[in-house]
Amino acid sequence: MFFQLIVSGIAIGATYALMALAMVIIYKTSEVLNFAQGDMAMLSAFVAFTLLTENNLGFPAAFAGALAFAFALGAFLEFAFLRRAKEPNVLGLIIITLGLEMILYGLASWKWGSDQKDFPFPVSDFDTHELGTVVVSDLNLVTLAVALSLMLLLFVFFRYTKAGVAMKATQQNEVAARLMGIRVNRILMLTWGISSVVGAAAAFMIAPVDTLDPNLMWTPQLKGFSAAVLGGMTSLVGAVGGGFLLGIIENLFGGYVSVEFKSVVAFAVIVVVLCLRPSGLFARHYVRKV
Amino acid sequence: MRKGLILALSLALTLALAGVGVAAPVRGVSDTTIKIGQWGPQTGPAALWGSVARGTGCYFELLNAEGGVNGRKIEYFLRDDGYQPNRTKAVVKELLENVGVFGFASGVGTSPGMAVMPDMIANEVPWVGTATGSTHWAFPPKKTIFAVYPNYPDEAAILTNYILFTLKKEKIAFIYQNDDYGKGGLDGAQAEIKAHGKSLVAEIPVEVTDTDLASHVMKLKQAGAEAVIMWVLPKHAAILLGTSAKLGFKPQWVACSTLSDAPLMHKITKGLWNGVIFGNFAELPDSTSPLMVKYKAAFDKFADKKSDHWGVFFYAGFGFVEPMVEGIKRAGKDLTVDSFVKAMETLKDFKGIMGRVTYAPGERQGMREVFIGRCGEAEVTTPDGKQEKMGQAVRLSDWIAVK
Amino acid sequence: MLEVRNIETLYGLVMALRGVSLQLAEGRITAVLGANGAGKSTLIKTIMGLIEDQPDKGAIWLDDKRIDHRDTEEIVRLGLAFVPEGRQVFAELTVQENLAMGAYTRRGAAVRADLERVYGLFPRLLERQRQLAGTLSGGEQQMLAIGRALMMRPRILFLDEPSLGLSPLLVREIFATIARVNAEDQTTILLVEQNANMALSVCHQGYVMENGRFVLAGSAAELANDPDVREFYLGIQSEVSVKGYQRYKRKKRWR
Ligand SMILES: Nc1ncnc2c1ncn2[C@@H]1O[C@H](COP(=O)(O)OP(=O)(O)O)[C@@H](O)[C@H]1O
Ligand SMILES: [Mg+2]
Repeated sequence: MFFQLIVSGIAIGATYALMALAMVIIYKTSEVLNFAQGDMAMLSAFVAFTLLTENNLGFPAAFAGALAFAFALGAFLEFAFLRRAKEPNVLGLIIITLGLEMILYGLASWKWGSDQKDFPFPVSDFDTHELGTVVVSDLNLVTLAVALSLMLLLFVFFRYTKAGVAMKATQQNEVAARLMGIRVNRILMLTWGISSVVGAAAAFMIAPVDTLDPNLMWTPQLKGFSAAVLGGMTSLVGAVGGGFLLGIIENLFGGYVSVEFKSVVAFAVIVVVLCLRPSGLFARHYVRKV
Repeated sequence: MRKGLILALSLALTLALAGVGVAAPVRGVSDTTIKIGQWGPQTGPAALWGSVARGTGCYFELLNAEGGVNGRKIEYFLRDDGYQPNRTKAVVKELLENVGVFGFASGVGTSPGMAVMPDMIANEVPWVGTATGSTHWAFPPKKTIFAVYPNYPDEAAILTNYILFTLKKEKIAFIYQNDDYGKGGLDGAQAEIKAHGKSLVAEIPVEVTDTDLASHVMKLKQAGAEAVIMWVLPKHAAILLGTSAKLGFKPQWVACSTLSDAPLMHKITKGLWNGVIFGNFAELPDSTSPLMVKYKAAFDKFADKKSDHWGVFFYAGFGFVEPMVEGIKRAGKDLTVDSFVKAMETLKDFKGIMGRVTYAPGERQGMREVFIGRCGEAEVTTPDGKQEKMGQAVRLSDWIAVK
Repeated sequence: MLEVRNIETLYGLVMALRGVSLQLAEGRITAVLGANGAGKSTLIKTIMGLIEDQPDKGAIWLDDKRIDHRDTEEIVRLGLAFVPEGRQVFAELTVQENLAMGAYTRRGAAVRADLERVYGLFPRLLERQRQLAGTLSGGEQQMLAIGRALMMRPRILFLDEPSLGLSPLLVREIFATIARVNAEDQTTILLVEQNANMALSVCHQGYVMENGRFVLAGSAAELANDPDVREFYLGIQSEVSVKGYQRYKRKKRWR
């Protein structure tokens, strides 16, 4: 049972980690908690669903299309809403994201209805492998693989590409970034686009286990946020670690202590972490953006 | 002479006040119409159940096409409350004060209903057939509120009994949504199994916001449950069956009637719903009873096929409201709140497309029976020519009344 | 070349520049001297488009293009580089990454050559390639900031108080490098300094700024010999008999 709980924790933790990454990418650039993150991802999942079931595209084409949509959506929201904020302050921007969340939710309810739908996926959660007493499904493995490769991709992007380093530079010192000729607005759009893609990938992994409806990403977003706080909010590695850790803690708590309070573990963990190590478990040092 | 005049005048006045010729108006009722309202989630997490309210609309269109009730056409006011109690309150206030409805037909959801019940009681508003099996509507009885849906403890007791004595499984676990809805079912199951000297092997709560049910399933598995009764949302039922299938846990699943739309459940569980046993409060979709055939024809004629399919939640919107219509019919041309309540209390073993409905003074729980169904599968051809398995409910028992 | 025509810059209601005109000489080093708060930084920031909606009046021309009221990003791309006061390096990027950001708008083999060159100018940066910029000493950060700007291969380089907070030895080293870059690449340089001694030792021409205005202009030699500059900026006592009152009057004359 112990190992099964750990494995299940890692499986769900992978999706938390992706949501946490998505939120941290935006938070790092603008100190905005993006409350529309989950519903941006939900909308992308619906687009994938439509491409699959109505346009009868194959999985690669449909998912690629939906990821492209996710990127465009993220970039568009930054361009059309966040940038418009006159004299932006953090609170104002957060309120904008809350408003966006409502708009996106309403849009999905209107376009696709709120009833539960079955999200088609190429690998099944019921095809399983047994390692001793521990069961892992194909979907678990794919989720983990997707999560890890996305993380690796992001790592490479931020470390080795000019655009990635420019994003970090913008996060650290916007004025200096402008002085390098970095078009900061474009970087912000790019940030939102990439973040949206990462969130969409999480939604694609969550929807086959859950059912597809406009509430799909409500809980995952909260968990992703918790994981991000656990990881210190500004560290990509921290977000990933926080995601996996939260998944494991939750499952162990549900298995050994109480299922009833399993869903509040995340928040208890946040409170404890904020009290003991306000900069998160993984942050090396906490540098506020200048 | 003067005295005579005064006498005559006061007589005329008395007669007028007594309503001879000019009756005091009843809210929502005119010579040719009755206004009836309903709320139902057309958006939000419970929107799946919103088709109940659209079904009622279809039912009223059918009645109006047949000439209405006692010559009065029904004007129907459907409002979306998004399953949010505060919105339900606003909707009810609007329908009572601005529109002026005679009463409310059905209405989806326990907490939305609970939020407006005080207003209904205070204003003596007729309200029949809430689309949930909560015990709050009929216990204690309220003058103008009539429950139709078999209450959850009754249904859970019937299902538990069925598992014990027909399926002959003794290790029963119960997984429930951690609120009124789930706990109502749990109470019934506990009471029934206790009456036979046993107890549930596990009682596992699910929070509405849970999305990962791995540890829940492992608890069930550890308890060695042979049968698991579910009192949860469709979404959680899907996650539950998926996670269990993955972890190699294969009990007999037994579900509440809220999950009795077999084709839909079969679809969202990717076929795992096949073999699940569940309670039913209404005839199955393929029933050939004359009423069901007539209602299906009404669906074909009036319903919007894009948003609705001929499923149990849709025609439940007919079934929950049948007793109300019967009451209006029996109240006759002189329809008032009091005459309506009196008429409702004459319903005895009234039979529409659901179980028998009986009311009496002091008795407001109309239906106390369900029947058992199982999800089977049928091969269907999709529009683009593919063969596909579809869930289909199979009837296993006659109506079973609570003892 | 760059020409500033009679600009006024406001911070809200406060006027920080009150009609400043300036002409840079191609391939030369121009110095702007002035006390703290005179408006020197504001002048460069205005040119670089860093102060929103400013200048309020006047115009800035580069060759025959007007460049005021443009985005900083676009002004930079015209070949203007700015090493701001306080260095403003990317603290959590490595030295190498900081330099790479300097070449953000460029690509090709020339970038590699320029990197070699910057490391040649500042060998200490080479030793610390992989170190995070935030962990460098102040002098090293100043070198990095200058190196980063040089990676743009700018036509015009603006330096805001490069000597601030550095030891005299380091200051000399940095000014030597500035002079060398100007000599080798013909880079036009605008140097803002409080350290007039150092500035006048490398510049070809200069301006003196007080209270948002230029009060004096001339070649390096003219300025170095101006009695007021000598007294107030170079700290050299002129006549023994100067009374406080006269000094006050002289200072006042400039306003
Ligand atoms: N952001 C600002 N907001 C308001 N006033 C400012 C701002 N920056 C500078 N000032 C004022 O403008 C004047 C010129 O400042 P500055 O250009 O920084 O001087 P210098 O660089 O010559 O020391 C000073 O009086 C200063 O207080
Ligand atoms: Mg300054």
